[in-house]
Amino acid sequence: MTQRISKSQRSNMQNLFIQFFKFIYLNIRILKIVAGGHGGTRK
Amino acid sequence: MSKIVILGAGISGHTAAAHLRRKLGKEHEVLVVSPNRNYQWVPSNIWVGIGRMKSKELIFPLEPLYKRKGIGYKQARVVSFHPEGNKEVEKPFVTVEYVFGETKGTQENITYDYLINATGPKLAFDLTEGLNPGTNKAYSVCTYDHAEHAWEGLHAIIKQLKTTDGKLKILIGTGHSKATCQGAAFEYILNVEKELVKHGVRDKAEITWISNEYKLGDFGMDGMLLSYGNMIMKSNEMVEMIFEDRGIKWILEAGVYKVEDGVAYYENLEGEYKTETFDFAMLIPAFSGHGFKAFDKNEVDVTDKLFKGFMIVDADYTPKPYEEWTVQDWPETYQNPTYKNIFAPGIAFAPPHSISKPRKSKNGTEIFPAPPRTGMPSGITAKLVADNIIDSIKFGKESLHHKGSMGNMGAACIASAGYGMTQGSGVSITTYPIVPDYKKYKNTGGRDLKKTFGEIGLAGHWVKLALHYAFIYKAKMKPFWWLIPE
Repeated sequence: MTQRISKSQRSNMQNLFIQFFKFIYLNIRILKIVAGGHGGTRK
Repeated sequence: MSKIVILGAGISGHTAAAHLRRKLGKEHEVLVVSPNRNYQWVPSNIWVGIGRMKSKELIFPLEPLYKRKGIGYKQARVVSFHPEGNKEVEKPFVTVEYVFGETKGTQENITYDYLINATGPKLAFDLTEGLNPGTNKAYSVCTYDHAEHAWEGLHAIIKQLKTTDGKLKILIGTGHSKATCQGAAFEYILNVEKELVKHGVRDKAEITWISNEYKLGDFGMDGMLLSYGNMIMKSNEMVEMIFEDRGIKWILEAGVYKVEDGVAYYENLEGEYKTETFDFAMLIPAFSGHGFKAFDKNEVDVTDKLFKGFMIVDADYTPKPYEEWTVQDWPETYQNPTYKNIFAPGIAFAPPHSISKPRKSKNGTEIFPAPPRTGMPSGITAKLVADNIIDSIKFGKESLHHKGSMGNMGAACIASAGYGMTQGSGVSITTYPIVPDYKKYKNTGGRDLKKTFGEIGLAGHWVKLALHYAFIYKAKMKPFWWLIPE
């Protein structure tokens, strides 16, 4: 069955206060993944 | 002194040129050859396509910047490759044809010590009959001028919706059985939906997603298992949740093969031939190689040493079944195995195979997404190619120390889901690795769940907007631009 976005989830998605902290969190997490390095896969 | 020629000035070519120029002394020549006079930040085309951004906000002319930075620039297109030179020219060269100004139409041979082919894909609208941006009510957002056209078409539909009592149909997705870039179409459909809500006409429009994916959320990456809040969910469940929430219908396993005025013809995996009508459509075309030719020093055709549609690099192209594919098949240095001074980062290299599981219809038509290579891997692979060339020049011998396989590289897809500083939304998905490693992460669908996650909300819109400004700053090579990672 399809998961639904609840009213409280929707409200949180547009809450400026919550989203501000999420913005900081997202930037740090994305930066860690992207700047965290890359390399080869073969020995 | 070395001469590095870069073909293309998109995300990949421009990134390579910028790093080469910054790290190499002025005695070395860096030359960019591109038929385009402007740099464009492609990910923001979506906002041009909904009229929320002007194209001038995401483009800038290349020539003045390159002149200031000491990078050579020729507005020309490549005609042929001569990696061994020929009887008259000893050094390897490319033949180019100028596309602008007084020299338009004239050809020139440009010699090189190192060549970076960053020509990206050809937007192969011709592979789908009747698919041509701005005709048959179908549009594209692949370039900024296509996106401007798309906005004109969408604007007219919004006006029509305001005056009509009936319903109009909007169709967005892929326009070919093997198209890729589902992410861009996904962003566009969510933005269009949001715009219709803003204009108070959402209830008068039926919005449908059409795609060659087997499941929603495949995105050409075989889908993914991801963490969402404190849940673990599949990308198809996440996209289904978003589409359900916004009342968007979907048609999957669809290989669009023809477009007529307001009608898309498609074949599905069951082998059925169906049609879908629309009043406005945005369909992503297939991507293909440019059909370049290559010749050796005796003018014998050696195209098959350089190209396999796109450019041949250090990938394992041995044909094998899906079950035997591994991340080790994917290239690490993007170097051509025959001509070792030629590299193809970004979208210009030939992938060893798709990432999504290949599927054929009962009629034998291949219907599945081709592998996507978005801005982030394009930038990363361009930088590592530039770094290897820089090391090779500095050490006086070939150096391939910098490696970056898509099987050992993360990517962030920040999909705008609506524009606005307080009312906007974004779907942020990060994936690590891009090509699933089913051996290393065998219980989590080939992905590291600590680095593969999804988020939905206003913050995603802010992140995408921040990336827009940061990457244009970086592309303009303003002070300390190199501190911004690819």
